[in-house]
Amino acid sequence: MFKHQEMEINMGPQHPSTHGVMRLKLKLDGEVVTECRPVIGYLHRGLEKICENKSYAQGQIWSDRMDYCSAIANNLGWAEACEKLLGVSVPRKAKYIRTMLAEFNRLASHLIWLATHALDIGAMTVFLYAFREREAILDLNEAYCGSRLTTTAFRIGGVPQELPEGFEQRVRDFLAKFPACIEEYEGLLNENRIWKKRTIGVALLSAEDAIAMGVTGPVLRAAGVAYDIRKAFPYAAYDEMDFEIPTKVEADTFARYLVRMEEMRQSVRIIQQCMDGLPEGPIMAKIPKLLKSEVNEIYHPTEAPKGEIGYYLVGEKGGAGPYRFHVRAPGFLNLQSLPKMVEGSLIADVIAAIGTLDVVLGEIDR
Amino acid sequence: MSNQEKPVQSDDFDIDLALEKALGAPAPKAPYVYDVKAAPNRQVVMPKTVPLPGLKAYLAEKAALEAAEEAKWQKQLADYEAAKAKAVAEGAPEPKAPVKVLPKKDPDLTVPVPSEAKDPDLLRLAELLGEGVEEAFEQAGELTCQVAKERLLEALRLCREDASLRYEMLADETATHYPAAKGFAFSVVYHLTSISRTKRLRLRVLIPEGFEPESAVQVYAGANWLEREIFDMFGIRFRNHPDMTRILCPEDWEAHPLRKEYPVVGWGQRDIDFREDRSGMLNRIALEKAGQLGINLKRPVAE
Repeated sequence: MFKHQEMEINMGPQHPSTHGVMRLKLKLDGEVVTECRPVIGYLHRGLEKICENKSYAQGQIWSDRMDYCSAIANNLGWAEACEKLLGVSVPRKAKYIRTMLAEFNRLASHLIWLATHALDIGAMTVFLYAFREREAILDLNEAYCGSRLTTTAFRIGGVPQELPEGFEQRVRDFLAKFPACIEEYEGLLNENRIWKKRTIGVALLSAEDAIAMGVTGPVLRAAGVAYDIRKAFPYAAYDEMDFEIPTKVEADTFARYLVRMEEMRQSVRIIQQCMDGLPEGPIMAKIPKLLKSEVNEIYHPTEAPKGEIGYYLVGEKGGAGPYRFHVRAPGFLNLQSLPKMVEGSLIADVIAAIGTLDVVLGEIDR
Repeated sequence: MSNQEKPVQSDDFDIDLALEKALGAPAPKAPYVYDVKAAPNRQVVMPKTVPLPGLKAYLAEKAALEAAEEAKWQKQLADYEAAKAKAVAEGAPEPKAPVKVLPKKDPDLTVPVPSEAKDPDLLRLAELLGEGVEEAFEQAGELTCQVAKERLLEALRLCREDASLRYEMLADETATHYPAAKGFAFSVVYHLTSISRTKRLRLRVLIPEGFEPESAVQVYAGANWLEREIFDMFGIRFRNHPDMTRILCPEDWEAHPLRKEYPVVGWGQRDIDFREDRSGMLNRIALEKAGQLGINLKRPVAE
């Protein structure tokens, strides 16, 4: 009597929840997704090719443009990768400043995630609250390096300048009020019935699947795997910092939300320690202006807000820029697991799944 | 578009259509040819060296450099002795003795060099694979193991399943193009992570043009998109891959962008006909012609 038919629809490339230009080919059986195939590449700019034709110092500017919500984390990875390739040792004070700015960036990135994720699901208020604090962080970015989003905050061998006058006070003011803000967001969401219905048990990804698919970051930690590169392979000044890796075992959207909220608290702790223990000394290593590499090949992973961002560089003898440059973008591998998360669930949960992965297409397509 | 009918333009504001009506159909376009002289950045400079890190190559190069330095020093000494003997014979003042010039060192710069494999993981792999391991070394604190291209899948399986290795995650997989190399054209590298042992390992294979390595999807499911990206960027096809299609470039893209012979600017750029119309003359002619034809081309302006 009733005809049973599968329907194929395109979600995106201009769907508001795709945070950029991503297309999902969905096969639907009624409201249930039976097959999902992400189509990416709409923002491909050939960044790897461009960087292979630039010098080591110039490449950092392009790292801003990958994940534009966490530019400083990308800068940090780039600077450290080049330093590893060229054999540069960085002064301790520069490491502290880098760590602090990277953690501020983690806060900003998580805030924009929270804002848009909640907005996708239907909680408008959180968006406004989260952007208020993000604005304060962007102002701090601006005070330090002159720009808010595309920061280019570091240099190979250190940082370009000392902390500006009055910066410390501004940071301390921010740290004093921010924990209360996190509680405010949680007050809006934690016991919110709609939020819980839309997130608990949605977009499940088990630890085995996550590891096999190369998923990293909060998505992996919400599946019970305490893998954080800041602890596992410490870089910058993270080996001197005291912080915890928040984990959950539920492996659903709500668990990822809780993990990210706890991560923000840990970031506040790290920034506090950086500010209190800021050492004296130089901020820049004594190295020549023009750096030339030897034959070398490195892979440097760092913990960006979205997961493991790894820079693969091949240097040639006497080369001023990399012979080969490749970025392992966290979003690229995280997005790969989207079909596993949404196949068999309702189409409305696809929106929650995209939000919980925290995709930024700038880094996925590069 | 060419064999399709041109869509009918219903509005009267299309300057192109009016121009075509007034001046006749435009001449057919010649195929687009890159003018390298006009745009020198489209020229491709092919690399002449093969920057493939390795212990053997490094040691050979180091020995050659040291021999050259030593020969130079010996020649300086011999020259000095000859000059000294000549000065003594002529009664002239003695020349200055040569000083060995040490290379300038920056305090914060220590270039990492490859060293012998001492890590138990590399030794274990060498033991398990035997002849399959072509080279194993450590550089900049990273472990590299180059395996024979036929035994890649076996090496990946061992890394994942061997009780003393346990590399659970494939963090990254990518390739490099070496057009100047002899015997191979690409290196494919696999960055493995062991979460339980907090260790990292790089597997490397060298493959010639046209060789199809085994897909790592059979061992690590996450290699799917990474290998699609390699195919897209380098044209390396992987055997037994479930879905060997392009991922970042459009499906009908020609060539593979990350090969070294692909220019940074030019190839694949949209063929846009930028009419030089800075003074607005073409526009004016169009308006005039349209006036003769009785078409109103002026856009209505909101009051």
